[in-house]
Parts: sequence; structure tokens; C-alpha cells
Amino acid sequence: MWDYDTYAPIASWFESTWVGEQMRNIFWMFPMMETFHFIGLTILFGSLLVIDVRVLGFGRFINMRAAMHFIPVAIGAFCINLLSGLAFLCADPFRYFPNVAFQWKMGLILIAGINALWFWFGEHEELKQLADGEDADFRAKVIAGLSLALWVCIIVLGRFMPYVEY
Amino acid sequence: MGFLVWLEEGALGVFIRESLWGYPIVLSSHAVGMATVMGVVVALNFRVLGYAKDISALAFDKLFLVGWAGFIINLISGLILFCNTPTTYFFQGSFQLKIAFIVMGGILMKVVMNSVRGDTSEGITKLLSAACIACWFGGVITGRLMAYV
Repeated sequence: MWDYDTYAPIASWFESTWVGEQMRNIFWMFPMMETFHFIGLTILFGSLLVIDVRVLGFGRFINMRAAMHFIPVAIGAFCINLLSGLAFLCADPFRYFPNVAFQWKMGLILIAGINALWFWFGEHEELKQLADGEDADFRAKVIAGLSLALWVCIIVLGRFMPYVEY
Repeated sequence: MGFLVWLEEGALGVFIRESLWGYPIVLSSHAVGMATVMGVVVALNFRVLGYAKDISALAFDKLFLVGWAGFIINLISGLILFCNTPTTYFFQGSFQLKIAFIVMGGILMKVVMNSVRGDTSEGITKLLSAACIACWFGGVITGRLMAYV
């Protein structure tokens, strides 16, 4: 389904963008974007840790309502990574599109996004009512556990991308 | 130098250079550990700098345990990665800077927590906190540079 003929037109478009050109022509652009991508990932994962560790119960003494302040931080960090990630993609799309680790990574990010929407629309309001030290319900814990597990896998898959090329 | 050669020729060095999946697996652990330890450090310093003020900075104590777990993952995975080519890394400027940044960042984190608990003025505490974040980000930047310099 996702064979060369399918992705080639999309990949060519990405490759021809101005961003792609800059990424290939200026030698420090790629390492700089990588650094942004890494810093973004630590901010994103850290924000999720505060929220998810609280929901899971290990950080029960963090005020739940206050922990939610880290949601906009997580979204901001995700945007840093979305933009720097797009820059990598524009630099060399024909390398990324057929890469199995890249495909899985994108799939898991989508699932993590759905999981985050489930958290926001299904649990967020209820969780905000939790008193300090009070346990979250089981469903919320499943979402928090999934969130951490998915993001760990996403980080690992990102690191595996250069090693599954053939 | 003799010690570095011994490390490079030792079992860990051979393993990380020659095993097919060893290197990417250890490298991924290093990235996950980084996200964990730095995630906690960044979140805590955001709080100290004045963001999400309604979280008690002291409630973060438990989160530090998570951060330490990340740090230990990275200490172990970092040592294994170092065995890849210790004779090169040891003399590499970006590696030396990276270690210096992490040591400084670690000490500053402790200093920041002490001033949160003590009666240090808010201005000084925030300054220390900003320096702490800068050191850890410096660690990421120099770590990335290691692959290019």
C-alpha cells in the first residue's frame, strides 16, 4: 500500500521545499534541528511525567489541578518537535518514507494523540476535582500508563531509524 | 591511556562495536534515560522559575526518584557507549564539555532544591535555576555535537 509509487510524489514535494533546500545546503542546520528535537523531547516527556506520574499514583502528593498546567507546555514542546521533525523530513524524504521505524513512529504518535484526546475529553475535568493524595480511577491510570509507554516507544523508534535502512 | 585501551579492547568494547543490535539498543536507552532525567529537571526548574506556582516545589521530591532512575539508565548506557571508542571520546572537546555540563547541572539541581527549602532570596534561586537548565541543555547540545565534531 505504502510503496514507492504512492509516496514518491509526496516525497518529491517535501524534497523541493525551501526548508529542504536549506537543510541540505547549510551544514549546521541538521545538527541544530536535531538539538531542538532533543530539547523538545525532554520538555515534552518531562511534562507528561508530571501529569502521568500523578495520575498513576506515584506522585500522588502533586496537586492534580496544578499538574495540568504542564499540558500547554507539553503541547508547545510537541510543536517544537513537529516543526524540527518536518525539517528532517524535507531534508531527505526518500530516506524517511520507506523506513519501517519511521512508519511505526508516526503510527504511534497518532495513537498517542488519540490517547491524549481521550484524556482531555474523557478524564481531565473529573481528575481536576481530585483532592491532594486522592487516587485517580482505573481508566485514567490506563491512559497515563499508555501515554508513558507510547512515548518511550516513540523515542526508541526515532533512535532506531538509521539502523533499519536497507 | 593504558586504561582507555584496556576498556576499548575489553568485552564491553567488543560487544558494542560488533553486536548487530547492541549499539542501537544501548543508544535508545540513553535517549529514554535522557528524556526521563532531563524531563524531571526541566519540569522542576519551570516550577522554580515561577510556572505552575500552585504545585508545591517540595511535592516534586518523589519525582526526583524517577529522575534518578533516568540518570542511572544513562550512567550505565553512557559507560557502555563510551567503551565503543574510549581512546577517541576521552580527548574529544565536546565529550569533555558534555561531562562538565552534566556534573555542573547535577550540582546546581541540588543547590536549587536547597535554596527552595532554605531562605535564599527568590531572585538568586531563579538565577540558579536558569543556570541549571542552561547546563542540562548544554549537555544535550554538546552530546549532539559529539556525533559531528
